[in-house]
Parts: sequence; structure tokens; C-alpha cells
Amino acid sequence: MSFAHSESPSIAARSIGARVPRGDDPRLLTGRGQYLADIVLPGELHACFVRSSAAHARIAAVEVEDARALDGVVAVWTGEDAAKFCEGIVGELEVEGCVATTMPLLARDVVRYVGEPVAVVVAESRYVAEDGCDLVDVDYEPLEPVLDPRSALRGGPAANEELPDNVALRGGRVLGDVEAAFAGAARVVEATFHSGRLSAGPMETRGVIADYDWTSRRLRLWTCSQMPHYVKYCLTAYLGFPENECEVLTPDTGGGFGQKAHVFPEEMLLPLLARELDRPVKWVEDRRENLMTATHAHEQFVDIAYAFDADAKATAVRIRATGDGGAYHQPPWSMGVEPWCTAMVTPTGVYDIPVADLTYEAAATNKTPIGAYRGVGYMAGTLVRECLMDDAARAFDLSPFEIRRRSVVREFPWTNPQGIVYDEGSWLQTIDELESMVDYPAFRQRQAALRAEGRFIGLGLSVFVESSGESTAMGKAHDLGGVYHDTATVKMEPNGSVTVTIGLTTQGQGHRTTMAQVVSDALGVSLEAITVRAAESTTYGWGSGTVGSRGAVIAGGAVLRASHTIRTKLVALAANMLEADPSDIDLVDGAAVVRGVPGSSISIIDLATAVYFDQSSWPQDFDPTLEATLAYDPARPIFSNGGHAIIVELDPDNGFVTVEKVFSVEDCGTVINPDIVEGQIRGGVVQGIGAALLERLVYDEAGQLVTTTLLDYHMPSMDFSPPFEIHHLETPSSHTPGGIKGMGESGLIAAPAAVLNAVNDALSHTGTVLHDIPVTPEQVLRALRS
Amino acid sequence: MKSPVFAYAAPDNVAEACRLLAEDEDAKILAGGQSLVPLLALRLAAPTTLVDLRRVPGLTGIEHEAGALRLGAMTTHRGIERSPVVRDVAPAIAAAASLIAHPQVRTRGTIGGAVAHADAAAEWPAVLLALGGHVEVTGVGGDRTISADDLFQGPFMTSLEPDEVITSVLLPVNGRQIWVGEHHRRHGDYGLSVMAMTYRQDGGVLTDVRLAVAGATGSVTRAPDTEAALEGRTPADGDGAVAALAGELSYTADIHGSADYRRDITTTLFQRALRAAGERSGQA
Repeated sequence: MSFAHSESPSIAARSIGARVPRGDDPRLLTGRGQYLADIVLPGELHACFVRSSAAHARIAAVEVEDARALDGVVAVWTGEDAAKFCEGIVGELEVEGCVATTMPLLARDVVRYVGEPVAVVVAESRYVAEDGCDLVDVDYEPLEPVLDPRSALRGGPAANEELPDNVALRGGRVLGDVEAAFAGAARVVEATFHSGRLSAGPMETRGVIADYDWTSRRLRLWTCSQMPHYVKYCLTAYLGFPENECEVLTPDTGGGFGQKAHVFPEEMLLPLLARELDRPVKWVEDRRENLMTATHAHEQFVDIAYAFDADAKATAVRIRATGDGGAYHQPPWSMGVEPWCTAMVTPTGVYDIPVADLTYEAAATNKTPIGAYRGVGYMAGTLVRECLMDDAARAFDLSPFEIRRRSVVREFPWTNPQGIVYDEGSWLQTIDELESMVDYPAFRQRQAALRAEGRFIGLGLSVFVESSGESTAMGKAHDLGGVYHDTATVKMEPNGSVTVTIGLTTQGQGHRTTMAQVVSDALGVSLEAITVRAAESTTYGWGSGTVGSRGAVIAGGAVLRASHTIRTKLVALAANMLEADPSDIDLVDGAAVVRGVPGSSISIIDLATAVYFDQSSWPQDFDPTLEATLAYDPARPIFSNGGHAIIVELDPDNGFVTVEKVFSVEDCGTVINPDIVEGQIRGGVVQGIGAALLERLVYDEAGQLVTTTLLDYHMPSMDFSPPFEIHHLETPSSHTPGGIKGMGESGLIAAPAAVLNAVNDALSHTGTVLHDIPVTPEQVLRALRS
Repeated sequence: MKSPVFAYAAPDNVAEACRLLAEDEDAKILAGGQSLVPLLALRLAAPTTLVDLRRVPGLTGIEHEAGALRLGAMTTHRGIERSPVVRDVAPAIAAAASLIAHPQVRTRGTIGGAVAHADAAAEWPAVLLALGGHVEVTGVGGDRTISADDLFQGPFMTSLEPDEVITSVLLPVNGRQIWVGEHHRRHGDYGLSVMAMTYRQDGGVLTDVRLAVAGATGSVTRAPDTEAALEGRTPADGDGAVAALAGELSYTADIHGSADYRRDITTTLFQRALRAAGERSGQA
């Protein structure tokens, strides 16, 4: 089936491709942003949560009377109070072998992870709310915590009685004759990897404000969500607020990275509190809560093996990805998406590997639920694939570039064994480009010379293909359900200025700038005449969420389609006024011009004015609506690709790893704004460096989270931001507006593998090969001393 | 992350501060607040009164007199880092200040506050101990001087009486070589191992060696066996001292490193200090 909203008109790139400065920057960088905590509603109350101090326990009693009696406390709710309105929010992944869970808004009877909300105190100030929380006395009867995912799947106590065998997800596929392929292999290379438990760690934590007006039954909910329309759907479906009187507002947001692409109990509780207390209620998450209870990410154990033929070409892959999922599925992504994607999507990557044995599983554990974080599923999958490729390079005594060339896909379109079709890509060119950027022979010489001085540098390579522009077609290609599309509204005013509204929220990606560039080229107006509003309210447009590297492709497509409707009217009007054929009219540099007739033109401003005020200039049957709302959802899955080569140095005094330089190649088709694309690469790679070298959420043997402040959870700071050299390849998509592909996750997807490979290369003289991230200084020092 | 209720006082003289401290046994001095305020926010500390010293005159300033640097207790880390006097007389102390946290913290945090807080991983206690410095304090009963060796009693523990206020920190710098270094993963982090070493150097031979370690051990501590093993030797002849250091201290373990790791990196830190001493004698 084909649909109109999958077709995008063509566009001539003029502003597209230029390094246009981000229009948001002056406001945000001078502290003039309006974030959720900056919003103060008259009469607002403040909520604070009593959170479980036990990993797994029966709640014998919750004593709240002292808190209720405290001066300034307005209400205290426990699980029983919340359950009167909502049993909980249901999470699952729509794939084979997933078992759903229901997450209560406040725990009843049993707590299942440290940080789980048990009660909420609402007070006149946050200070008093916290005083009230200190007065709530919860009597916990300890239950055995389930902490190791692999042993949990073999039996023992259940982390969550909805999942009695701890299996939240299990499935897989065998594609081709795996046994024969491994039996006939010239060499098998295999390893077990662990990618550590991370926090997305957005600079702005989560937060919610709810305001309910009983006279109109109108609910307004401010939340810094990446998926406001989904949150609105949940308010309607779970809580019964009428959809037409329900508005979700998203103010300036300081990063999301997937953590804010879920629905959380706090978002469901505050509207109920606001309605029942008849006052606005606000909750701004603190950093300890964010590290403890906002979704965790990425943790998996992965067993992976490649069969190679005698020419070092990979012939088969076997993978088992086991997620350490936490206590519940956090909707909508669930604890399943990590291991499912790692096993089902990433094992072949850019390589022509025809035979595959793919197994995914997720274990329920008494830890914070796992959710989405930039590169969800792709990061761990790329880590194991690309690090095993470097292990193979050492086994075959080939360069990391050459081992990849032996297996890389060279012909497009290409269909991988899972049946996913890749229409185009620069997969081989990426490898060649990185090899020349790093000057590989010179690097090896320098490495040898430094080693003789007792200095240890290493080079790591990682190449990737990234699904981008998350769409209905992308879901279908991966056997996932889901319908995705976004709308955009483009409106031209009588003076020719343009207001654009998109269905995507923005968390710092510069959408307002890139979308203005698309509109500028579509309508021939200057950037200064264009205002772009990201989804500041669900009152406008429709959006499926700022997830899956969707922004440029999906919002770009919707904006282009809506712009094209306006363009068609302007062209018809200009043709009438200039007595020319519409097919000869172009819109460029603020004017409609007749191609090949110098001097025959009319300004866009005059055209817009004529639409509103001069009927005599209109052609027959002209409709003067200069406002259009259209949807977009690409007809086919869109994939970008690229790679990173990273050089590190190990300090033999302390085992610290320093990243000396990052070489990046990115092919996201047509580049709208190189500065913004490069910013995405830098930010993503630095997050990947953090994942590979620094960041680790640690639980102790009782299931207590040890890393509850940024003193212990180490995020990369500016001294972990190395110099970059970035090259762009451009293989435009034949299906998206202007050939754009998404690339918002590529840095974090591929950088950790490059860092780990670089560390192992620097250690190559020691015989130690590390397979876990983050790499600790202690591991490096021990390897150097061995 | 909001503090519990407390009373706040900002006296304008030391005697009044001492009186407020004496009146409330759960009172705490606010001297910059860069450690205390986070503890309040996390509700790990709940003092009933905060006695803020910011309005007390005469507690800031840096003087070089009688062979020592006298640092007013409310002098900020940033002030020490940037002080022309400190940079001239003891550049290693200005450099040590720059190891503390980030500029925002250094701009408010004070040397008196850091010394009184006695964090096991902080730089100033190690520097004070390695220099054999002392603090001048005022209490309800009068003034006294406490040597660094007597001041630090363990992690977050000092020999200060509850009503006593540190008014100045004295660092005897004349004639001493000073080396301060640390292993930190990111700039501004608490050191995994922090070391301050001071000594006299004559013809390449080290005498009057004082070595203090923080971060790697449960509290800031001297390493007397190591000091003795180095006494009267050249930096190149430090193998015995290296062995002594590995043996004499009790190293801590946490998620950032095991005790063995901390022993290893404290050893390499000490080797850096010895190399620096060797280079200094080479220049002399």
C-alpha cells in the first residue's frame, strides 16, 4: 500500500548544506531559556516522593500520620490512594516472547527496586515536602533481592511475581545452516562482553507540573518529555482525562537522550493530585532521584561468535544478548528493546554474513528499570560486533581496516539475513576514508617508537549502520508494530514571514534552525523571516516523539510537504501576476522569478500581501489559505552509516586512558547543517567515551545503588572531550526529502567499540584483551604490569 | 535535595561566633559551604544552627612573615591559587589550590573550611601536614595554636573544640621544597591518591622529609617509615622508601579502585615526587 504522506516533493538545496548558526543559542547560552523549574504557577504545591530504601521487600506498614500533621503538608498518598485511580502502567515490547508487567504509580505490598516510589508528600514548598517525606515511616520486611540476570534466568526467587521465572523476554531466530557454517569454519572467534549500566544523565532532570481546572475539566501538564503526544494518550487511557481538554506542554528541555521518551508514574500521579487537591502541583526531580529512578540503560551480557573462512571473511554469526532489565518494563520501550535490538538487528552490521543464530532475553532483576538511551540496542550490539572484528584482526594478523574489507557489503540494495533491505550506503568507502585519515602505516610507526619509550598508544576502529528516521516502514522491516508519523504546520503571514510548527519536541538539537533551512529553500524566503516552533504543546500538530534519529527526516519531510502546499499557491499567484506559466516560476532569494526572463519577478512579500488583500491578482479558483498542515512518514526504512577511529594513550602510572584524537566519518545523506551534524557527532562520541571509560551505575550485593551523586557516577567533562577530525560522505536517500538521513545516535552507537578497541590495541603487547565497558584504570594498570 | 530546617546567624566578630557555637552543640560553621551545603541538601548533615563567618572582618588575607605564609581562614582556594605572594614564595601551594574541584567551588570554598572539614581526600590537610604547619584558633576560652600533627584525628575529625573557630592557617615555607600531586580521573575530582611531600635539599641529599597522603587512605596521614627511609638519601636512592610506603599505610577500597590499586598508584605518585626532587637537585 502507498500513502500520500510517504511522498515528499523535491527541493533545491540553497540554505540546506550551509553552516547556519543555531538560532536558539543566544537565548539558551545567555540563560534566558524557560525550563520546567522556571515555571511558577500561582498557588502551586510541591510534591516529593518517599522512595524505597530496599531492593526487594514486603511493605508491612506505611505510617503517614506524622507527615500529614506537619505544618505545610497538604496531602500524603500511599499506593492504596493511587490505586483507587489507576492500577499502574503496562509495559511490554511487541515482539515474540515478551511478557508484560504493570508498574504501580506508588508501590503496594511489595517494593522491587531501590528508589521505587512508595508515597508522595504534597506541601506548600519543596522543603516542607522533603521534611514530610522524612516523617513517613515505611516498615519493610526484606525479601531476597534478584541481582544477577544470568542466574535469575536459571531460576531462584522472582524479582517481580508477574514474571515468576524472571523471564521478561525470550526469543530469537535461526537463519540458515548455522551448525554447518561453524563446523566448516577456518576459524571461529568468540567472546562474552558486558556493557555497563548507564544513566542518560540529561543536564536537566525530569519534572512535571499539573494544573487542573474543574470548571472546564481542563488539564494542563508540563513535562520535559520527548513524547508529549504519547504522554497525553496515557493521561486519557489510564486516568480518563478527556482528550479534548488535555494539553501536554513541553518547555525548553535540557537534554533527553531517550530517558525522557518514556511515561513515568510521576507523570500520571501529579494530574491526579492536582485534580483532587484543586491546586497546581509541581515536581522537579533532583539528581539523586534521577540517577536512582529515572530509567537506567544499556546493560547487557552478550555472547557472540563469528565463523570465518580461510580468507578471513565472516560466514556466520551466533549471538545471545541477555539484558539486566530491572524490575518492570518502562513503557513504551521496555526492558526488551536493548537485548532484542542487539540480537535481532545489529549482529551483521555492515558485513555480508549470510547465516545467523540470534537469541535475545531479558531478565527481571531488583534494579531500576532499563529504558531507552541514545543508540538503544545499537550501542551494545555495535560494541560486540566491532570489538570481535578487532579480535579477529589480531587472530588473522590483518589490519583492522583489512579484516572489515574482507566482509563488508559492496553491492546495494542489500538484504541482510533478517530480511532488512538497505537501499544504499557508503560502507566500504567509510573504512577506506578512515584508513587514510589516520594514516595507518604512520600510526603503527609512531606506536612502535613510543612503546620503546614506555608510552602506550592504541588505535581502535568501529564502523556502523544506523536505522534513522524511525517510521512505520522501519518498524515493519524489523517485525515491530507501531504507526509513526508527524505533522507540521506552515503558515505565511501577509508580510511574507513564515511560522512553522512541528510535532517534535526539541531538547537542544537545533531543530528550529534546521527546519528553518528546509522552509527557506522550499519557499525562497530568508531565514530571518521564518520562526519555527517545536512541539511546545500538544494543541498543535501530532508527533510520535523525538526518538530514533527522527528529527531531520520526519519533521523535515512534514515541513517540506506543508511548505510545498504554500509554494504551489505562491507559484500559481506569481504566474498569474507575471503572465507566465507556473512551471517556469521559481521561488528564490525572497522573490518569484520567471526562469530565463531576467527582470520578470515579484517579491514573496508582495505575493503574500496579495493573497490576503488583493483579490484582483488571484487566478481562477484560487484558495487563499496560506496555512497548511501535513503529515510525513517515509515509505521505506532509512539507514545512515559511518565510523570512528579513535587513538588513546594509557598512563602506566595509574592506568588512566586518555583519548588523543577522534576521526569520524558520517554519511547521513544530504547534510542540512554541517555544524549541527558535527555537534551531534561530538556530543555522541563524548557520551560514548563516557560509557567506555567512566560511567557505571553500581549496585552492591544488597541491591543498594552506590552511585547516587555525580561525585560517584562520573560523566565525561570537557577534559574528556578530545580533538575531532570529521569527514562527511553524502549518499542521499532516494526516498526522503532532499535525500536527508537521520544521524542523532551515531556517536554513542559506535564510539564505545572504538575506544575499547583502541585500549586493546595499546595493550596488544601484553596479551590482555578486555571485553567489558567501562574499562577501569585498575584493569589497564594490571594489564600493563602483567 | 533541600536542606532541613536550621537557624542562621552571621555574626560580625569571632567572639560572637564562638558564643553562638557554644550555645548550640549542634551548630556548624559555614565557611564557604562547598562541602557543607551539599551535605545539607542530601540531608546527610542536619545542624540546628549555621554560623556564617562571611561577615567577620580580618579572616581573609595572605601574608608572608617569619618564613611562613599566614592565610586567613576565610581566604578562598581561588584567592590562594591567584595570589602573587603565594606564587612567588611557594608556587607549589598555588598549584595545589588549582587541584581543588572547579573554579566555581574554589571561588567560594575556603582553606579554613577545608582544614576544619578534614575530608580524607582533600588537598589542604595533606599540604598542611606535609609542611608541619599549624592553625590558630579562637574559642570561648581564648586563643590557641594547634599543630597539623595534632589537628587531624581521622576522617572528618579534628581536635577542634565545638566552640572553636580557625582564624588562620600557617604554612612554614622558607627553606623547604614542596611537591604536591595527585591522581584524579577528571580534573576537579577528588584524588584517588593525593600526596604532599616537603623536604630540605642540600647537595642532592634530602633531609627533614615530611610526606602526607590523602585520598588513598582512610584519612589524611603521614608516612613516617617512608620519611625515615628517605632521610639523608638522594632521590635516586629512594627504593627503600618506595618499599616502605607500600608497606606502612592502610589503603582504602571503593568503587573507584581497590586497596591494591590505590597502593600501586600511591607508589607511582611517590616516584613522581622523587623524580621531581631529582630534577630540582639537577638544576641546583
